[in-house]
Amino acid sequence: MTDLRHFAGASALALFSSAFASPALLANELNPDIGVTLDGYYRSGEQALSHREEGFGLGHTELTLSSPIDDRFEGRLTAVLEDHAGDTELGLEEAYIQTTGLPWHLNLRAGRFLSQVGYLNGQHLHADDFVERPAAYRALLGSHYFDDGVRVNLLLPTPFYWRVGAEALAGDRLGDTDGDEDIGVYTLSTKLGGDLSASQSWQAGFAWLRNRLTDVASDGDAEHDHDHDHGHDHAGHSHGASYTGKNLYITDLVWKWAPQGNTRQSQLTLSGEYLYADDLNRYASSDDTQEGWYASAVYQFAPQWSTGVRYGEVDLKEAHGDHFHDQSLEETEVMLAWSHSHFSTLRLQYTHQSTDGFEADDNTVTVQYVMSFGAHGAHDY
Amino acid sequence: MITDCRCSMTWRSLRRWLTPALLVLTIAPALGQARPAVFACEPEWAVLTRALLPEADLTVATTAWQDPHYIEARPSLIAALRDADLAVCSGASLEAGWLPSLLRKAANPDIRPGGPGLLLAAETVPLHQPHQHVDRSLGDVHPEGNPHIHLDPDAVPVIAGHLAQRLQQRFPGEAKVIQQRLLRWRVNWNLAREGWRQQAAALAGQAVVVQHGSFHYLLRWLGVDAALDLEPKPGLPPSTAHLHQLANDPALESALAILVARHQDRRPADWLADRQQLPVLVVPGTVTDEAGTDTLAALIGHIVEGLVEAMEATAGER
Repeated sequence: MTDLRHFAGASALALFSSAFASPALLANELNPDIGVTLDGYYRSGEQALSHREEGFGLGHTELTLSSPIDDRFEGRLTAVLEDHAGDTELGLEEAYIQTTGLPWHLNLRAGRFLSQVGYLNGQHLHADDFVERPAAYRALLGSHYFDDGVRVNLLLPTPFYWRVGAEALAGDRLGDTDGDEDIGVYTLSTKLGGDLSASQSWQAGFAWLRNRLTDVASDGDAEHDHDHDHGHDHAGHSHGASYTGKNLYITDLVWKWAPQGNTRQSQLTLSGEYLYADDLNRYASSDDTQEGWYASAVYQFAPQWSTGVRYGEVDLKEAHGDHFHDQSLEETEVMLAWSHSHFSTLRLQYTHQSTDGFEADDNTVTVQYVMSFGAHGAHDY
Repeated sequence: MITDCRCSMTWRSLRRWLTPALLVLTIAPALGQARPAVFACEPEWAVLTRALLPEADLTVATTAWQDPHYIEARPSLIAALRDADLAVCSGASLEAGWLPSLLRKAANPDIRPGGPGLLLAAETVPLHQPHQHVDRSLGDVHPEGNPHIHLDPDAVPVIAGHLAQRLQQRFPGEAKVIQQRLLRWRVNWNLAREGWRQQAAALAGQAVVVQHGSFHYLLRWLGVDAALDLEPKPGLPPSTAHLHQLANDPALESALAILVARHQDRRPADWLADRQQLPVLVVPGTVTDEAGTDTLAALIGHIVEGLVEAMEATAGER
């Protein structure tokens, strides 16, 4: 009875306060925001370290539900449908709760979420400017690293933006590992940023990812899975990173420029990241390290058009029992994208790969669409 | 012994640096509190705040050169929102592409939807053009209604009243002066409004071509028709096909001018103007730092004057 009265009171109040909205709209307010992202492509060849196969295919099809839970918590759930060799996989990429309005500008998150290491990793794939993440990300973070755990972030009281954060994560999703540590991965990260003028802004970050599962991991994997790259693409499809180290360090730098800050008309974005992994496994010497980097320039020259170029390299060590095989990949990508509205993007991309230790075509062309309907969340920097 | 001594030396010198550093870290935010910090999503809310509380430390997220729909959730804005006591925004999804990200990252306990530190102007006044059925094939429409409320001569005083009330709640020590300044602001506004009304009497029934609904409320108040829009759908940039269609629209002949905001690309307007011998009126979409458009009243006066001039010019030609 009390509930009913409360409900009646609340709806009367709601009706009173917005006499112009229809009751249907008001009822909808209680539904979570639902958003769907559709991603499809055609690719002319096979690429190294790629999650996308040759020919027609579907990329990252996402279904996202998000909503405030009450005045102290909000929640988000992202289910991902991916198609691999005829099998449709349903994955849960995000399922987390987050606090809103804790004292001291603390931010807590728990559940499954994208780790905040690096610049791109915390961003959603559909917001990317290129068809795939840089080669260094695909090798060392499994394209985008998400896991189960908790995160604490703190904003420091400085006149510029300075965030420090720590995450404790299960670690199962970073590499094909089955270690027995409950908390397999710790990350520490920080981000700094500000404006240089009305037209220019920047952000820099540094992150350290401590992987406690690598010792156990790398022996089992190696002997029988000699053709690791091939296994990754097809039969043994895995979302985890193929190459890990006990320590992974990432630095990132982003600079954006738009005349008078009017990003609607035109914008230039320069970004780059460097990733370095050491202490690969118990057989590794101090010389056995993996590293990769990329630099990208994207120029949105009209409200609906953007073009960009990205170059990246990655030098890897593939573990084979007690020794390593060197692998490397250099990648140049050029893209042109047309976004009719904020919710639809068509992209044409040319990729040149030169590889050592991978089987892949030198030149590939990809045509991709990324479109979303329903709720479309705000974009991060 | 020597080692011990060295250690204590290091510790002592470290402490000498650490103590002031810690003091600064703990006191700086406390000092910051002394001056009321207000975060305004758009310049129109910043000038209103300045009129009511001139001593406020103001951060404005956008300028008249920028399209308020498309703003990056920049690090500097997160830092400013973290320190703010009050944030004033338009609401009605105008900032949907960036404000939620800022709010989440700033993690300011007071500044959140429904919180005491967030005032959304669009929630204090009835909006025009609310949509009962919305889908994106209609363009980037806001189901709540048109959010560009800041140039409505009748709505702005209501919003100013709500803003004054919120400022009084947040800074009770200033309550009395805020009330006095609000009264003075209202008197000035009402005077100015009478002026616009007289100037505008002749404008009623005229028509202009617009680009987006940025000036909808003001034009409606003036009785100026704005049915022709350079945007094929709300939020989409003018397309060639749509411009050709407009060029052949018979309604175009009776239009006074093409009214575009400063942050918009003026080439589509120029193209159409060339074909139809129409003047293009480029005005700031919101207040600026320049004299003549630095308050909402001045800006409305500037736009009304521009329209009247365009009308007189066309009348002279016809």
